[in-house]
Amino acid sequence: MFASLTDKFQTIFKKIKNKGKLNENDIKNCLHEIRIALLEADVNYKVVKEFIDSLHDKIQQEKISESLSPTQQIIKIVNGEITLTLGCKQNDLSISPAPPTIIMLVGLQGTGKTTTAVKLANYFRKKGHLPLLIATDIYRPAAIEQLQVLGEKSNLPVFSMGKNESAVNIVKAAIKYSSKKNNDVLIIDTAGRLHIDDKLMNELQEINENIPLQEKLLIVDAMAGQDAVNSAKVFCDKIKVSGIILTKLDGDTRGGVALSLKKVLGVPIKFIGIGEKVDNFEPFHPERMASRILGMGDVLTLIEKVETAYSKDELEKLDKKMKDHNFDLNDFYLQLKKMKNIGSVDQIMDMVPGFNNLKNRIDIAKLGDREGELKKIEAIISSMTVEERENPSIINGNRRKRISRGSGTQLSDINRLLKQFYQIKEMFKKGPKLKSFSFN
Amino acid sequence: MNIKNIFSQFKEGLYKTRKEFSNKLGFLFSNSKDKIDFLEKLEELLILSDLGTSATAEIMNEFQQINFREYKENNFIFFKEKLKVILIDILNSTAPDIKINENRLNIIMLVGVNGSGKTSIAGKIAYRLKNINNDIIMVPADTFRAAAIQQLKILACKVGAEMINTKEGADPASVVYDGISAARARKKNIVIIDTAGRLHTKTNLMNELEKIKRVIQKEANDCSLEILQTIDATMGQNAIAQAEFFNKSLGVTGIALTKMDGTAKGGIVIAIKKELDIPVKLISCGEKLNNLYDFKAEKFVEALLD
Ligand SMILES: Nc1nc2c(ncn2[C@@H]2O[C@H](COP(=O)(O)OP(=O)(O)OP(=O)(O)O)[C@@H](O)[C@H]2O)c(=O)[nH]1
Ligand SMILES: Nc1nc2c(ncn2[C@@H]2O[C@H](COP(=O)(O)OP(=O)(O)OP(=O)(O)O)[C@@H](O)[C@H]2O)c(=O)[nH]1
Ligand SMILES: [Mg+2]
Ligand SMILES: [Mg+2]
Repeated sequence: MFASLTDKFQTIFKKIKNKGKLNENDIKNCLHEIRIALLEADVNYKVVKEFIDSLHDKIQQEKISESLSPTQQIIKIVNGEITLTLGCKQNDLSISPAPPTIIMLVGLQGTGKTTTAVKLANYFRKKGHLPLLIATDIYRPAAIEQLQVLGEKSNLPVFSMGKNESAVNIVKAAIKYSSKKNNDVLIIDTAGRLHIDDKLMNELQEINENIPLQEKLLIVDAMAGQDAVNSAKVFCDKIKVSGIILTKLDGDTRGGVALSLKKVLGVPIKFIGIGEKVDNFEPFHPERMASRILGMGDVLTLIEKVETAYSKDELEKLDKKMKDHNFDLNDFYLQLKKMKNIGSVDQIMDMVPGFNNLKNRIDIAKLGDREGELKKIEAIISSMTVEERENPSIINGNRRKRISRGSGTQLSDINRLLKQFYQIKEMFKKGPKLKSFSFN
Repeated sequence: MNIKNIFSQFKEGLYKTRKEFSNKLGFLFSNSKDKIDFLEKLEELLILSDLGTSATAEIMNEFQQINFREYKENNFIFFKEKLKVILIDILNSTAPDIKINENRLNIIMLVGVNGSGKTSIAGKIAYRLKNINNDIIMVPADTFRAAAIQQLKILACKVGAEMINTKEGADPASVVYDGISAARARKKNIVIIDTAGRLHTKTNLMNELEKIKRVIQKEANDCSLEILQTIDATMGQNAIAQAEFFNKSLGVTGIALTKMDGTAKGGIVIAIKKELDIPVKLISCGEKLNNLYDFKAEKFVEALLD
């Protein structure tokens, strides 16, 4: 969707390559691009304004002119500043010295409170605790059932009293119940509410005043726009939120809301949700989030995933093949399969600069993600001779016809496959070398 | 349906508090020192309403052309009116409102990312149509999310509409097939399909929706099909990608803009209309069954600039 900032910088710097120095105007141009990138990422307008001002000073102070690659330098500065603002990794949740530890999740409607409550309970269980989930959403249809079903699936206990008891009373009863069952971590799932809904905000305040809450976590949708700071501020004012969890980061949202909230509220972001399943839950990494907000791709996450999927030997072999232009159809097939194993091909392409704004990325993603397509490719490639696989350029019309017959596919399938193969080959040539993912 | 005041909900108590978050447009326009100052404030207003950078730049461009000196005296009224006209112009569409065709099967399918309000909208549409004596079948094609079927069931019961029975984990396309068959057998004229929330980037889940659409086209080729995408008003720029991908997969016929009772302005639909020409058809302003309104560009723009 968005051209990456790196590309834009490169265009700016290309023009000034031979001047060897960044003048005020160059800096202005860069800041303009950074500003646009941040706004496109949904960082709050006012936060962007402050940020750009402080950045201006920082860039001027640095001796950009002497650097060989101003692009990398400026990116490093910007990335560093955002990472700094996002804060250090502080995903530990505090545990009460006198159990049980009670944690309340709050937020607007549909942000992911119920899902996150279960993820969190699962997280605590893995750390050796005995969590109990408490259902206090007495309003939304089937909200209690949702928590019960999720709890049951993950084998986590859920405390509920139906819809006719007040939220604070449900929590009180749950505390009593937990002491009998030895639950040491209590997680309260609350109803979604608007920050301007006084009646429901009072409900939260009532719980806050009557129950010793260890953590109050605001659940925020990572796709949120400019208004997020307004609603979050009210939640903070009313119940003194202690941490934030960002959800739905498994999509392609840039998630600028992270920067806005941290800057405006000063509350740490602790975890992120990256899917609907109970283990799609990770600690928050400021440096990854920073490059994501800038649209530079979540390269670090990718590196981690690639590192677990590829052995060092394999990487080096592949890298050499690329370099020597020996990347052939066999490798192509293996890579698609491999990407699919790492995650969705689509997702992986999202993370890599250069891939994420590829025109035909949807086609390639489909190619990799669709089970049937992969089989088709397998059939086509296995109908080729060794020579053809290693040197696809010899595949002329006659050969195509033969392959089509042999694999039971259409000529157009073969044409498409070859086209995509060349595109990917081209892409790897331009894109980051796999070598940079290696372990040194 | 009475759409005289789509924001009548606000009068029930939320209005006053909501007001505190308004952009204070009057102040903004009447207190600008000069053109540069004005344009900066205009940019702030538009960006804070989630219109995004490119739509904002284009709108600002229109103001850039104006000779400000000529309008110094009464610039507030002039600029406000001009801005209104520009925005309404973008939003107004030639696409028809949601209409129920008496002589055909009408299928309304809700799609969108997780938690954007699909199931609630399904209930609200049923409530509205039921009130005008239509025969409705609700189809719980979200067989994935925990208790999603029960959630729709409760809404269907409240409305007094029938719902197809199914179980968690069932194939959504089969449930839709059953829904269409049941509608034919029981002579119902409206089928409302609730689908599971999915992020637009998940290819396999998008394929699942495409499969549902193929079932509809095969089993009810003659139906009038409305594919509504829910867009949460609190969403930022990612909603453009959401609309783009869903539209590419399915051909979205309209947007239902939800959660407009909060303080978010929902300006992203302006960018979506501009870039993808997908019209907004419905607006939802609350969690009650009757909090559903037809979209009116004038009212929406008024609320945006309010
Ligand atoms: N893709 C994705 N979906 C998520 C994530 N977290 C939650 N969801 C989905 O988002 C939708 C809403 O999640 P819920 O947990 O029901 O949200 P909630 O805040 O409890 O909603 P209300 O109680 O209605 O206010 C569901 O479809 C979830 O499956 C996430 O990290 N990624
Ligand atoms: N304030 C407000 N809340 C709304 C509105 N529409 C829906 N909601 C709430 O938003 C939350 C999510 O709504 P759902 O209808 O469950 O959303 P969904 O898209 O079906 O969610 P999934 O099926 O999990 O993807 C619920 O708590 C709803 O009550 C609205 O117009 N205003
Ligand atoms: Mg919930
Ligand atoms: Mg739903």
